[in-house]
Amino acid sequence: MPAIETVDLQREYPARRGPGLRAVDGIDLAVAPGEVYGFLGPNGAGKTTTVRMLVTLLQPTGGRATVAGYDVATQPAEVRKRIGVALQAAALDLLMTGREMLLLAATLHGIPPADVADRGADLLERVGLSAAADRRVGTYSGGMQRRLDLAMALIHEPEVLFLDEPTTGLDPTSRLTLWDEVRRLRDEGTTVFLTTQYLEEADQLADRVGIIARGKIVAEGTPATLKAEVGVPHLDVTLAGEDHRDLAREVLARFGDGRPPTEECDLSVALPDGSAGLAPIVRALDEAGVQVASLDVKEPTLDDVFLAKTGEHLEGAD
Amino acid sequence: MTGELRVTWALMRRGLNEVLRVPGASIPGVLAPTIFLLGLSAVFGEAAQLPGYGTTNFTQFIVGVSLLQGAGFTGAATGVNLARDIERGWFDRLLLAPTPRMVVLLGIVGSAALRCLLPVAFLLAVAFALGVPWPGLPDLVVSVLLVMGFATAMACWGTVIALRFQTQQAAPLMQAVAFSSVLFTAAYAPLDLLAGWLQVIATINPTTYVIEAIRAGFITEMSLEQLGWAVLADVGMLAFFAVLAIRGMRRIGR
Amino acid sequence: MLRPTLALMRRALRNAFRRPQFLAPLVVFPSLFLAVNTGGLQATTGLPGFPEVNSFLDFQLASAICQSTMLGGVSAGIAMALDIEAGFFDRLVVSPIPRTAVVLGRVGAAGVLGALQAVWFLAIGFIFGAEMAAGVGGVLVVIALGVISALAFGSFGVLIALRAKNASTVQGIFPLVIVGLFLSSAFFPADLLSSPADVIAEYNPISYLAEGLREPIAFGWDAQVIVEGFVAGIALAGIGTSLAISALRGRLRAAR
Repeated sequence: MPAIETVDLQREYPARRGPGLRAVDGIDLAVAPGEVYGFLGPNGAGKTTTVRMLVTLLQPTGGRATVAGYDVATQPAEVRKRIGVALQAAALDLLMTGREMLLLAATLHGIPPADVADRGADLLERVGLSAAADRRVGTYSGGMQRRLDLAMALIHEPEVLFLDEPTTGLDPTSRLTLWDEVRRLRDEGTTVFLTTQYLEEADQLADRVGIIARGKIVAEGTPATLKAEVGVPHLDVTLAGEDHRDLAREVLARFGDGRPPTEECDLSVALPDGSAGLAPIVRALDEAGVQVASLDVKEPTLDDVFLAKTGEHLEGAD
Repeated sequence: MTGELRVTWALMRRGLNEVLRVPGASIPGVLAPTIFLLGLSAVFGEAAQLPGYGTTNFTQFIVGVSLLQGAGFTGAATGVNLARDIERGWFDRLLLAPTPRMVVLLGIVGSAALRCLLPVAFLLAVAFALGVPWPGLPDLVVSVLLVMGFATAMACWGTVIALRFQTQQAAPLMQAVAFSSVLFTAAYAPLDLLAGWLQVIATINPTTYVIEAIRAGFITEMSLEQLGWAVLADVGMLAFFAVLAIRGMRRIGR
Repeated sequence: MLRPTLALMRRALRNAFRRPQFLAPLVVFPSLFLAVNTGGLQATTGLPGFPEVNSFLDFQLASAICQSTMLGGVSAGIAMALDIEAGFFDRLVVSPIPRTAVVLGRVGAAGVLGALQAVWFLAIGFIFGAEMAAGVGGVLVVIALGVISALAFGSFGVLIALRAKNASTVQGIFPLVIVGLFLSSAFFPADLLSSPADVIAEYNPISYLAEGLREPIAFGWDAQVIVEGFVAGIALAGIGTSLAISALRGRLRAAR
């Protein structure tokens, strides 16, 4: 039984007149227990709407979804018992201390605070907040608040953890800490559903990635297969001057197809065998007397996948 | 059930944090009803010379109104705080817990009943210090309970508006209803002395009956009949707004 | 000097009208209060010592205008504090415009709103049967005094904002400023106020402002009362604005 399964999941927001806005337009997902699933897409693609439906905050207007084996629309209470959620806004009460917040989270899940005092302390330790545990949340930095939010989502040992853009707006250090924690959770067998607009995050953390655009999943697979699907590494060539452009193009044409030039490079050629194909090209350019300013081997990225599937770049893509 | 009680208590306790941990922030809310009591007495005090007031002490006459005003503003503030919690995403966290939504609602509006005790206690202390006669313990206790009920009813109203508009900007709507339900009554004068149009509104407005019972307690004695009407009015308002609030809670996420 | 002040005034007004949910309470609450006071206390006009008036509504209109412009002052203060919180204030201060324009623009906008507030309450008054004892000229006097009272309260609102620096403090001060209104003859004849309010009211400039507003509506053309109203209002506005400007200068010095 998958940890998360959706069939033709839809959410339409009614409009004043005319057809409503389909924020989520028929999504099929199957996330296996223990898997880290990365849900990648630009702002407004429908990521958050999907998560809000999966965590029972929003009713689907079509299709169905089960989480931990329970239907989100008809058995929301059962779902809530089994999930942990850290939403985009770290929803914290600035007047309470970190430890109080954690114990309140336990109480909200029906666990007497006394029973989780030890686990609470462990969690605070894990997210690096032991020293700050008895300070008011209002004094925390953004990164600390996110980490406390994560600890609160974990206090009742959920089967499935939802993280909605956990690192948006975080400094690099806090981001790395959060990534480490997600990896540790995966090692412990927790299913993690993670939305992100960062390619690198999906690439680094997710066992499998679903790419969403305009409410639909446009591609799904492991990061490696997705990238392999859209192509092979390329060698980007930037010339030292304009003089040898035609000559260089002739040389490169011998080695295979190129890509249209971009702002960053003048010419480009596919490297089906990866870096192994590099040496002959360099030699040929040299022999032809082409003056080269720089050579750059570009591996395909998830942005290339996104570009191939939607014709657009991801926001925030490098 | 004990788990649910614990949740309710935890939420009410959290509502009290605003009072206990930022004492400065609650000062205006605590002072406001007292300032109105003193101000109205200073300005309109002579009105009690008119026949029909049952006392020549205007403060004694309107102390019940000010108590309900304190409760009404506490109730409205509960709605504003909820709207803020919704804006900040905190409310999502409550909804994500397996706690039944009715328990969440109970925790929210229940905190208003407790929080209103602060302005109420301050107001009573000032009123007694200014020479408002002691109404006797039973009448005082009953009055405070009626006031707590009204605070809860207004908190339910605030909740309805907060859930509907999900923004603190809807605060005036919460306050205007609290304000109107307390003042469009026989607040400043006995029913007979009101202008005709206000007499009609005041007769329909259930809060009038709560005010009259509390007022009787402070001036002479609350009769059983007055108490009966007041309880009926209080419970009626509470039930009405609670049903709306429950409906609002049920509709979240639709 | 004039141009940046007008530009900032326009911005303040535009923002006010773009958020009617913040503007409406300025007239809604005083209107409710006016209704409750006139409906509840109409019998008091029969008290011995109460001056001869056509109706209690005529008498109360001035207090509603005072109250409304006072709320306008609080909201000008909140808007200023929000500018400070959002950093927009710093942007103004580092721009080459004269700094006094920052204060004058905000206060001026409150004045323009004051005219509208006066018109609103005159309109409600006329709809519900109030009369204007001083005729058409009286309408102009009331509007002019409405503007001046809005300038006065606006300048104090801005002063408080410059000192408090955050919106919630400014908001919290409201119950305290309303005391100034209670300790004046804005709501009830000075002779009928309880002690010690009666003594304080005699020295409270708001009393004179309110009576100046009331005179043309309820009684007629008593030049002395009207002139005293103008003098009290202009003095308050002048003092408030000077203090606000010096608070602004002090703030900038402290920030350096």
